[in-house]
Amino acid sequence: MIQLESLTKQYGPTTVVDGVTLAIASGSITVIVGTSGSGKSTLLRMINRLIEPSGGRVLIDGHDTSATPVHLLRRKIGYAIQGHGLFPHRTVGENIATVPRLLGWSAARIQARVDELLRIFQLEPAEFAAKFPHQLSGGQQQRVGVARALAAEPAVLLMDEPFGALDPIIRGKAQQDLLDIQRRFGTTVVLVTHDMDEAFHLGDHVAVMSQGRLLQYDPPALLLTRPADPFVSRLTGTADRSLKLLSLTTAGEAAEPGVGEGPSVPAAASLREVLSDLVWSGATAATVMRSDGTPAGRLTLAGILARGRAG
Amino acid sequence: MTPTPPPLHRIDRLGALLGTASIAAVAWLPFVTFKANRIASGTARSLFEVLPFGTALAVAGIVVVVAAAAIGVASPRSRLAAAIVGIAVVALALAAAAADLTPPGNRLVRVSPGVGCWVLLLVQALLATDALARLRPGPGLRVLCLALTGAVLYAAFALGLFDQLSIMREYAVNAGTFAREARQHVLLATGSLGAAVLVGLPLGVLCHKVPRLRAATLQVLNLIQTIPSIALFGILMVPLGALATAAPWARELGVSGIGAAPAVIALFLYALLPVVANATVGLGRVSPAAVDAARGMGLTGRQVLTQIELPLALPVIVTGIRIVLVQNIGLVTVAALIGGGGFGTFVFQGVGQTAIDLVLLGAIPTVVLAFSSAVVLDALVDVMSRAPQ
Repeated sequence: MIQLESLTKQYGPTTVVDGVTLAIASGSITVIVGTSGSGKSTLLRMINRLIEPSGGRVLIDGHDTSATPVHLLRRKIGYAIQGHGLFPHRTVGENIATVPRLLGWSAARIQARVDELLRIFQLEPAEFAAKFPHQLSGGQQQRVGVARALAAEPAVLLMDEPFGALDPIIRGKAQQDLLDIQRRFGTTVVLVTHDMDEAFHLGDHVAVMSQGRLLQYDPPALLLTRPADPFVSRLTGTADRSLKLLSLTTAGEAAEPGVGEGPSVPAAASLREVLSDLVWSGATAATVMRSDGTPAGRLTLAGILARGRAG
Repeated sequence: MTPTPPPLHRIDRLGALLGTASIAAVAWLPFVTFKANRIASGTARSLFEVLPFGTALAVAGIVVVVAAAAIGVASPRSRLAAAIVGIAVVALALAAAAADLTPPGNRLVRVSPGVGCWVLLLVQALLATDALARLRPGPGLRVLCLALTGAVLYAAFALGLFDQLSIMREYAVNAGTFAREARQHVLLATGSLGAAVLVGLPLGVLCHKVPRLRAATLQVLNLIQTIPSIALFGILMVPLGALATAAPWARELGVSGIGAAPAVIALFLYALLPVVANATVGLGRVSPAAVDAARGMGLTGRQVLTQIELPLALPVIVTGIRIVLVQNIGLVTVAALIGGGGFGTFVFQGVGQTAIDLVLLGAIPTVVLAFSSAVVLDALVDVMSRAPQ
């Protein structure tokens, strides 16, 4: 649990972050979105005190972060940034080992952890551990950056536009990797982005920032159905909000009992994809199939459309 | 489609210029200068006047062949081999001429290389370095080439091959002081460099961290660089002399208005700018993302500096040290004027006595020392830059 209490940052007369209060549940992914200059990066960097707050405080699991020496605090919090920030003079293995070394882990334990993380990120240790960052592709560098942030098994991972420099296909893969890893380790992730689609795709909760203020902090669906501020509607966009809303629910979650006619769709597919399927095939209902091939229920066109409306 | 045949003999422009110059030098310029004694005015002698006709013809022939290779041969290895053979032949011809012109037992006559001989050596040395550069040797190989050249030269001098040459006559007279001045020269150059690194590196780090300090510091150091070296030595004589008079402890340390103390201080002041400027530039070029990530992962300020910033800035910092070392080796020569010692002692004695051989005895080792340091430190920078940036 991370609690931000009236967190404020002022540079002279300018207030960059203005009294933000919010609570982040352990094991969840919270995405902070906003336009540039909204204070979202500053808010994130106050959590590990890369920026010292002018007012308010940050509690992690009930402990005030200002009570811990700043370098010891940061060693317990993973940190990944846009453009990865890998150390160019150190190998991939040495980069990942950075925080475990600072914490004084044994060489054997560090080695095992580096190998484990490389495997999780689909980088064969024998091939990649001894390479230098410049010998990797952009996507590989980004994966090493996240692996390095996770090396000391932190309970909290802060990510500042981690996928901003990646092309769309690699970005989609990186987002999926992050979801898998977050599920695997149960890490509490706080991620900053200006990409609304990324926020909707990744976030359990989304915090919308504008001009230093927190406008809304809710699950993605509520941002669409009950925007707290006209700015939130502008940011999420109103033209395709029904489709966005449908994309937040999977076929498995929405399936009604009964066996349907029409095409079969995977339970993991979003309602948006099922709708597209139905429009394409001209059918009015679909059968939802679990990944093991058993039917999970059915979806009708009318049922899907009802879920695309507010309230 | 008919393939265009490759040109059989493509003329190398640099080779054409140098080759023509060497042929002209052997044909028209004097090969040695002969003097009845150390300060008598010399007479110029051509290659054919000082060597038996057959030998002279052979030497001239080899020079022409080397020139032809420089003009028409493309392979850098062959060009290098030709240039090395050329240098060896000219050097041996010079040694033979000096031995032939000196009557047995005569310690007075002076035989020194003439304009033509200098041109030949210079042109062929240029050809050799050009060929070497085209081969793009790695840093290790370059240092090895330097060491080999040094070993060959040392062997030639140790064997007494050039003992009859005027410079070696001067060396024989000054052999006792030569080693001492050489040591003094190296000590002055490296000592002031060491002090400049000790002070300049922390100052460079400070300038990097405090931008307001940077402009002021670099301006002051720039100003120091504009003071001519002789003037700076002179300016330092007054306060150091006063200090030595006023404080006995300073005098016991060897501080005085003249000698090594003002020399080291002046060289140190000159050395500060390249060290500080390169440290600041090198640190400024370190990726901000890497520094941000390092801080974000919990490295302390000192760890960020020693583990991330300094290692990444090191090639630029060592480039600054290379500049300082080469600059210092040259400047130390001037320090002899205020009694600092070093090879400059021979230069200024030679100027005072209008003995050009003595001037060369000071100047040539200085050039060799500066060139060798540059080669070694360049190789070091190369090795460090190869570690990925």
